[in-house]
Amino acid sequence: MTDLITTLAIVFVTAGALLVVANHFSLSPVPFYIVAGLITGAFVDQPEIVDLAQWGIAFLVFVFGFRVDFGAVRSVLRDSEAAAVTQVVVVTPAAFGIGLLFGFDQLNALYFAVAAALSSTIVGGGLLEREIRDNLVHGRLASSVHFFDDLLAIAIVLVLSAEAFTPTLVTSKIGYGVLFLAAGLLVYRHGFPLLVRLADGSGELVLMGSISILIGFLAAAELAGISIVVGAFAAGIAIRNDSAVSLEVRNGIESIRDFFVAIFFVTVGALVTVPSLEVLVVAATLVCLVVLVNPFVIMLSFLYEGYDARTAFLASTSLNQVSEFSLVVAIQALLLGTITETVFEAIILAAAVTMILTSFTRRHEETIYRSVIEGAVAERQHRQLAERSSVSDLSDHVVIVGYGRQGRIIVERFERLDCPYVVVENDPVLWDSLREDCSNYVLGDALSRSTWDSARAEAAALIVSTVDHAPVSETVLEVADERDLEADVILRAGDSRAAQRLLEAGATYVSVPNVLAGDQLAYIVEGVLSGETDAATVRSNHVDRLETLERYGFDTAVPDD
Amino acid sequence: MSQIALAADFAIIIVAATVIGLVARRTGQPTIIAYILTGLLLGPVVLDIVTEDVLVENMAELGLGFLLFLLGMKMRFDDIREILRPIVNIAVWQTILQTALALLVAWALGFDPTEIVIIALATVFGATPIIVKILTDKDEITALPGKIDVGVLIVQDIYLVVVLALLGADSLENPTQIATTLGIITVMMTSIGLFSLASSRYLLPQLFHRIADNKDVFLVVAIAWAFLFIAVSEAFDLSLEVGAFLAGVSIAQLPYSKELEDKITPITDIFILVFFASIGLQLEAGDLFAHWWEAIVASVVLMVGNFWIMFYLIDREAFSVETSFLGSINMVQVSEFSLVVGVLAVNQGYVGSNVLGYLSLMALLTMSVSTYIISYNHTIYARVKPWFSRFESDEKGDADLETHDGHAVAIGYDEITERVLPLLESAYGDVVVIDRRTDHVEELEAEGEYAYVYGDVRHGEVRKDAALSKAAFVLSSSVQPEVNRVVLAEAADDATVFVEARRIDDARDLYDRGADYVIMSTYLTAAKLSEYLERYVTDRETFEKAVAQDIELIERQARHRERLPIDDEPEPEVDDD
Repeated sequence: MTDLITTLAIVFVTAGALLVVANHFSLSPVPFYIVAGLITGAFVDQPEIVDLAQWGIAFLVFVFGFRVDFGAVRSVLRDSEAAAVTQVVVVTPAAFGIGLLFGFDQLNALYFAVAAALSSTIVGGGLLEREIRDNLVHGRLASSVHFFDDLLAIAIVLVLSAEAFTPTLVTSKIGYGVLFLAAGLLVYRHGFPLLVRLADGSGELVLMGSISILIGFLAAAELAGISIVVGAFAAGIAIRNDSAVSLEVRNGIESIRDFFVAIFFVTVGALVTVPSLEVLVVAATLVCLVVLVNPFVIMLSFLYEGYDARTAFLASTSLNQVSEFSLVVAIQALLLGTITETVFEAIILAAAVTMILTSFTRRHEETIYRSVIEGAVAERQHRQLAERSSVSDLSDHVVIVGYGRQGRIIVERFERLDCPYVVVENDPVLWDSLREDCSNYVLGDALSRSTWDSARAEAAALIVSTVDHAPVSETVLEVADERDLEADVILRAGDSRAAQRLLEAGATYVSVPNVLAGDQLAYIVEGVLSGETDAATVRSNHVDRLETLERYGFDTAVPDD
Repeated sequence: MSQIALAADFAIIIVAATVIGLVARRTGQPTIIAYILTGLLLGPVVLDIVTEDVLVENMAELGLGFLLFLLGMKMRFDDIREILRPIVNIAVWQTILQTALALLVAWALGFDPTEIVIIALATVFGATPIIVKILTDKDEITALPGKIDVGVLIVQDIYLVVVLALLGADSLENPTQIATTLGIITVMMTSIGLFSLASSRYLLPQLFHRIADNKDVFLVVAIAWAFLFIAVSEAFDLSLEVGAFLAGVSIAQLPYSKELEDKITPITDIFILVFFASIGLQLEAGDLFAHWWEAIVASVVLMVGNFWIMFYLIDREAFSVETSFLGSINMVQVSEFSLVVGVLAVNQGYVGSNVLGYLSLMALLTMSVSTYIISYNHTIYARVKPWFSRFESDEKGDADLETHDGHAVAIGYDEITERVLPLLESAYGDVVVIDRRTDHVEELEAEGEYAYVYGDVRHGEVRKDAALSKAAFVLSSSVQPEVNRVVLAEAADDATVFVEARRIDDARDLYDRGADYVIMSTYLTAAKLSEYLERYVTDRETFEKAVAQDIELIERQARHRERLPIDDEPEPEVDDD
């Protein structure tokens, strides 16, 4: 057994044990890799493992490159515009100033600022998985900012790879970056499909080919004197493809990535020696900036954009951790020899601390919101609610919570029946279509009581929620209970047991898409199996229905809800 | 900047192997041949541009570790239980007879005594990557001859692990030392093996139950488990391969092993490539062709000899003649482990690299020829059938194997599929559910009505396990278009396929790709709900009646779920708005 394999054994066994602990407490694995590195630091000093860690960086960015959803870029820019501007204009310069105060040179102050501003997709996005899947507004906002941060990080790495910051050098780096992206797109169009054809169904060869493409781009990046991160990103773009074999290959590359990325994170932790007091002070400052200042400033910018206070708060607290890309920036700087030990170690320590903290803040964010934020912004919320709502003098009306696809279909029906209704929605992006399509609407947070005042809940005959989010359902029932409302309540739930609980708590009816779909499906399957109808008929009927829906424009709800 | 340039040799190997691999693919040759050729091309034999540096050496060793880990993971005792006894018989005798034959051939060819012993130990017939790969592509891996071959290969692997451990030991001067070493190895392997089996029963189910749902953690913890065993066997002076293999065996018995296998395979692929290439790098042109005519003679004699050994052994177990013929003719190539053993023997200084050259040449020859033989195994059988019919007799017949065919496959166990499963069960008699959540799988286990495969349907191994391509009815409640596209591509043309989608665009695309029905629960709910609401304002009585029916359905479902051991965590695949 060679030294490297002994080192890897130490690395993986330590990391594995810590991951079991992390998983037990539902914490993100990333900080625990870093902690494993801190623990095993003394054993991990082979130059080869730094090589393997470099592959970790390459695969991290490579996978990011082929996962990038270019279709989403526009909506990301729309969502993260304000937050992005805030980060670039407010947080970064402020942190840069603090860095200078610590006596760093400009470059190191910049590294410090980058670490303060960018937040982590793997950690933050991982914790938000459910919110993002359920398409809650704050989940979408946070993941947009994460995505923006990742792209920004790649650009920063590109610029920082210049040996000196003269305009010519920086421009030439950017020029190379553009060239690489163009080359990536070229391979995506012509090279990769050719590879898939030549491989003739062999997943192994497509996998090797993809890694060869990665290697080609990395080598080119080195020749051009720019960071391998840019090469890996372009290579990721080059292998985007949605054939069946490439799904297999992506899984394969992701496994390989997991292996190398684990080594990368552990190595990063291992590079930290016993920290000096100075390092601890810098790290603590960085933690404050990331956990308190950055989210606070971003929250203000979301509020300014017109999001309700809860959404703004929840979205910004999901951004309170150091990005894994900041670690990439730091280690690249270390290899270039431009970062001081203090800044490097402070960034790593702050990353580990904030990545662990973020899980805890998320567990208590509702409490923090209620006790700290809600009161502070109440006044403003009221004003905004009034400004952005339009409710005539309604009674015996229906309150519809959520203007997603279900909400739209219901509104359309009520318009046709000429029955009074009011829509409650918290996504400002939908404001235009609310104004256009709905006779009455409230743009506000369904979890806040004042929204229900605006919707005239007291006079309502029926409240229908189309949102599958337990807090919303519970609030509706609470409001009905507190105010002794006459109205019937129809809610939505994800599965039959949740639905049953809501029914017991007083809901008139609960729609469960899976149960309804299962019911319908059983009916269709029975028909097909018994020969009463055949698949072709079922199919053509459904295609017709879809066309009808499309004609009514029901597939164009702006954010995919 | 000197960054990845440090790994330039590794990079060159991969790129060259890809190119040669693509060429090999055009001629129907397996990738392993391409990898060995890559090493020969880049090494001293032809271009001499890559040397075996430390990183390459490490990666090769890592590749070997992963290969053995993977191999251990394939040792599912359940898979071969039905034909276990005949397989053990065949494997044990095959190992003995072929070693004797190899010994005889090496002796006749005039090698010196140590070389003869090493060659005899190293010449193992039956290369897992080639047989498994080609039979899988031909969809014959679960047929009886394929099962027998795989079973024999599995048992053979245990023998190989012992050989590797033996050769890896420090001193093998005289018979007593060999015997002691063998004894120690047996004791060590047995104790680690027992620990691995005990942990697979008592520790791992709990450990992995908690972890299997978390994709990020699952793989790394499994790799950590392998490294733990590697470290332990190192402490016992056993080789890395033994530890990795036993770690794999302990995981193999868990329901999550299929998925893990699919995750480890790509990592193995990339490192094992380096291993095979590094064999070529170690050889000088002189080494490779030092015994060229001996290699050719030995290849021919051993291919023919081993075919007859296998045929005799399978036939003796009273399988049908066709099964015996196919099962034996698939196994006529030198195992990739011959090279592993050869490399080890060279490193330990027992033999010179000329013997490795001899083994490599034999591997290249037998593997490339046998690729065509396996591809055309049925055609060959049809030709020689009249002659082989002399072996037919009434007592012979094939054991029945459980396979899925013309069955129904349900992807995802949730409230949508749950309702339909009884219907499918009564129509097709055989339902397989694929799900990657441990709690859903436990639910299925508790119900005990349907077969299930634990794993992500994105993995080919998982789809194969559920025999998706042979299903008559496929129901997917995954809303991910890329998953459903794969399902549609893989399902048979005449199968009825129901899939789920969230968006109309996706639904249309899936219809274009041959879906028979696309479930869209959001629109369905929206339509139903707005229908109900209309009745609510126009005709309250019908509203109440309709709603009462639905509520009854919900309550029935909820009661049904209440009985089952699921936690309150909402389903992760709940869709949309």
